[in-house]
Amino acid sequence: MTREALLVQTLVELADNLVDDFDVIDVLTVLSDRCVEVLDVDSAGVMLAAPGGELQVVASSSAAMRGLELFELQADEGPCVDCFVSGQPIVNLELAAVDDRWPRFARRAVADGFHSVHALPMHLRGVTVGALNLFRIASGPLHAEDVLVAQALADVATIAIIQHQASVSASVLNGQLSEALNSRIIIEQAKGKVSEASGLDMDRSFQRIRHHARNHNLRLTELARGIAEGTTSIIGLDPLPHGERTRAITPDPSIGRESPST
Amino acid sequence: MHDVWQVGLPTCVPAPRVPAVTVPDDRISALLVRLASHGVDAAGTVALCEVAAESAGVSGASIMLLSDELARGSLCTTDGVAAYLDDLQFTLGQGPALEAHARGCPVLEPDLDARTTVRWPVLVPLAVRAGVRAVFAFPLRIGAVRLGAVTLFRDTPGPLGDLQYADAVAVAVVASRTILALQADAPPGSVAAELEQGANFHFVVHQAAGMVSIQLGIGVTEALVRLRAHAFVGERSIDDVSRDVVARRLRLDGGGPAGPGDGSTGAPDG
Repeated sequence: MTREALLVQTLVELADNLVDDFDVIDVLTVLSDRCVEVLDVDSAGVMLAAPGGELQVVASSSAAMRGLELFELQADEGPCVDCFVSGQPIVNLELAAVDDRWPRFARRAVADGFHSVHALPMHLRGVTVGALNLFRIASGPLHAEDVLVAQALADVATIAIIQHQASVSASVLNGQLSEALNSRIIIEQAKGKVSEASGLDMDRSFQRIRHHARNHNLRLTELARGIAEGTTSIIGLDPLPHGERTRAITPDPSIGRESPST
Repeated sequence: MHDVWQVGLPTCVPAPRVPAVTVPDDRISALLVRLASHGVDAAGTVALCEVAAESAGVSGASIMLLSDELARGSLCTTDGVAAYLDDLQFTLGQGPALEAHARGCPVLEPDLDARTTVRWPVLVPLAVRAGVRAVFAFPLRIGAVRLGAVTLFRDTPGPLGDLQYADAVAVAVVASRTILALQADAPPGSVAAELEQGANFHFVVHQAAGMVSIQLGIGVTEALVRLRAHAFVGERSIDDVSRDVVARRLRLDGGGPAGPGDGSTGAPDG
């Protein structure tokens, strides 16, 4: 396969992952493997920032590369760390020349047989989410075109990750919103049932449900669900103590309030 | 970045007039400026409906939240007719917003005529009587995530222009993201206060459903169906009917206003 064909295939593979069944590690493993096939490099790996901000090794083209990347994180020095912190590409660094910049990393990398290292930032809209590491056995600069191609591949992978995160968070938020609305609806239904069965108004019905939930250490929504579905007896609810109404009750701002139209 | 605003609708059959709309950045910017000038923070989501109607050049707009294919309520409505149209959709369980949400595609009825429109047979005559002559609904969706729909209506028949169509799609995108951004700041388990402001989630209807379920000895879901039927037959809004039930002016079991609870609200607990 020609280099161009391989590149096109890689882009298609990465784009395929934009749809369902997305696995970040799969995408980044494809990215590192293809970098080794398409570019004049011997090993590739990807580090991503975890939610807490610390870098993690996510994918590597070989076990040796993975070991070296883990060492880089432990030592807290090396091309990927610097690239992530600065958001700037680090290209064509000869390990022989960087002994003072990353003394521990350079020694270990040379021992592993590498002589030049490169790291490209993965960022979108000013946020650096990770870095792509490219290590070579031979010394000497990476072809300028290879740098461009590598950055393009890193960009596509970044978009895939960010799209995926946006979609996951939209789905989570939408789920929270509909669950919150459902809880409200169930509580209103339970208030209506208690009100009809006991002759209390809606506010007092809600107070009685909440009073019972507190007495029995039940979650309000679960108790309300039992009442609404008919599995919890309304007669069995603890009665409101006299004077409850005059006591200062801070209503939960989110639940149990009458709708504005009531 | 264009990718964020690209709204492809590849699953829509029949294909909408514009199969995949890329909303130009300047339209989005104009919308955001309009939203900012309406004060979206202060007024919650009310401004979203006003901007929707304004940009699409229609008489009015509403934004309805739906989940599990059920209407939950309206976030905002521009006027009485928009509110009535949403009430009809909520009461009847049919209409453009429900269809746009279910299909994930725009639903366009540029010439609503009680004699010729075959969609929504119960809703259309009532909507036409209220002066609605064209309706357009756009799903609120982010990828596979569906939140509800924007309904636009006009008091004269005729299709949306291309720019109006693009603006309606853009409004749906902006609205979807605004809703989720507001909800992101809500305390766990509750609906964001900004989303409740100016919204009608029909809580009184669910209270009434609880009462009717005791009156008739049926489940709350069936009680809701009875309330809907009662509202439809009496040509009243389901909110009005429910308010009567909650105020104990109306019972659905055929009994008089005084029930087992003896009607006196706030009676001492026994």
